Amino acid sequence: MLLVGYAFCIVPFASYMKNRPVAVKLGYVPSAEVLRVAVGDQKLLVAHAAVVKVLVYYGTLIDKQLNNKLILPAEYLNMYTTLQTTVKLDPYNNDSYYFSQAAFTWDIGRAKEVNIMLDYGMKYRTWDYMLPFFAGFNAAYFLKQYEPAARYMQRAAELSGNPLLTNLAARYYFESDKSKIGIEFLEMMEKGAKDEQVRKLYRLRRTALQAASTIQSAVSQFKGQNGRLPRRLGELLEHGLMQRLPEDPYGGRFYLDDSGTVRTTSKFAFGEHK
Amino acid sequence: MRLFRHIPFFYRTEYSQVKIYRVIFEATLKGFIRDRLLQLLLVCALFIFLVVPALSLFSMRQVQELSVTLSLSAISAILLIVTVILGSSSVWRDLDRRYLASILGLPVSRTSYILGKFTGIVLFIMIGCIILGLVATVAIAFVSAQYPSDIPVRWLQIWVAILMDGLKYILVAAVAMLFSSLSTSFYFPFLATLVIYFCGSASQQVYEYIVSDYGKSLSGIAKIGICVIYYCIPNFAAFDFKVQAVYPLAVSVQSLLFTGGYFLVYACIILMIAVWAFNRRELA
Repeated sequence: MLLVGYAFCIVPFASYMKNRPVAVKLGYVPSAEVLRVAVGDQKLLVAHAAVVKVLVYYGTLIDKQLNNKLILPAEYLNMYTTLQTTVKLDPYNNDSYYFSQAAFTWDIGRAKEVNIMLDYGMKYRTWDYMLPFFAGFNAAYFLKQYEPAARYMQRAAELSGNPLLTNLAARYYFESDKSKIGIEFLEMMEKGAKDEQVRKLYRLRRTALQAASTIQSAVSQFKGQNGRLPRRLGELLEHGLMQRLPEDPYGGRFYLDDSGTVRTTSKFAFGEHK
Repeated sequence: MRLFRHIPFFYRTEYSQVKIYRVIFEATLKGFIRDRLLQLLLVCALFIFLVVPALSLFSMRQVQELSVTLSLSAISAILLIVTVILGSSSVWRDLDRRYLASILGLPVSRTSYILGKFTGIVLFIMIGCIILGLVATVAIAFVSAQYPSDIPVRWLQIWVAILMDGLKYILVAAVAMLFSSLSTSFYFPFLATLVIYFCGSASQQVYEYIVSDYGKSLSGIAKIGICVIYYCIPNFAAFDFKVQAVYPLAVSVQSLLFTGGYFLVYACIILMIAVWAFNRRELA
């Protein structure tokens, strides 16, 4: 009788658990100071578990947003705090740094905070070229600090022995075309990503950036031909500079701001005002 | 308790207490095997072998590192459970079944009894360590072959971490023996050992906290109290070499010597107190 009762309950229960709001799933992770004392020799395991928790939460959120099932702003602050806790428990944890780079720079523009985390990681992962590589990119692309960017890239190049990074370091001193650097960086990251969710994230961002870059090129061309900026993006189509306007994969609408820079109402993030 | 088989042996007084100790040690070990604890260890080892490669895939960039973390964490958790139960129950079981009174009625010293029991547990912990360590080695080798990391696997560091965990749980067993020699119940040594284990694992962090700037807000008496506790209870954090194993970092000979020396001195002190307390106990 009890088994029959259990069989009746378990299916709706499992369905409820699967469909409960994703925001609930991230939950709260106690501070690193408390965890260090409480978990004893299981610090590394707890750190890994917390990173996995963030990954699963964010992966589920992205999946639901891509399938238009749910538009819900991610708990970025909670995610960041959780990852900060993980690196305090396990300063060598590569997943924490990697995911912070993937999620907090592009989506919420927290490059400065991510670089603080990366600087912390570099003290421990002294062999890892990816951390200075991330920090260098963030410094150049988001923070427009080309000198520290070049220094980071130089360190990445030394650690990896990859001449490509040395070139990148040099370019950061002089390069002005930010979009191209961004697209190249995202391509590189997409190729190197082992996790499908993260790969998806980079692909999405690259598609968006390529779309913006294509429109920006057409705007420059228009200005060159007509001596003025287009009043609206539709003028680019009317002048034959573009066949059609690319779509913003984040669901936003592209527009030109007063300085002639292409922007989108989505701000390249899900859940933003359209 | 198969010790009764040895009754004629015990009456032959020409046999030294060392030989009696050996008999108790062997009987303890055989008791564990009879209780199918070896099979339990093998099931745990199988669990590690099956679960570690599967769970390691949850990592994005460090599958191999996660497999080492999971293996070492599982070994530590299994050994903790085994040690606390064996250490807390071995004397209590003999007492509960009235074997202890019978044994001590023979020409068997209480010291030989406690030391025989303890070394039986020690050998079982080391056997457990080696079995679990070997299976973890296979699981890690499998994962690292499938998902090679930027950093190599260093087996030496991994085995140092496993063996140091073994030493830690031998110390935990000594603490459990101490509490067992004081109590007639199972629950007191069991819970007291767990409390000491958790306090001993956290004491280093708490100590570092109070000597840092954060500790300035604490009163002088509180600081002295914490320092006294820190120096008295075993420091299990010293035996934690997991970071060095997961992200192959150098393990200094000095740290091994310090930890080994600390282990020897502390275990001897605890055992001496356990023997002293057991010798003075009323077991009527």
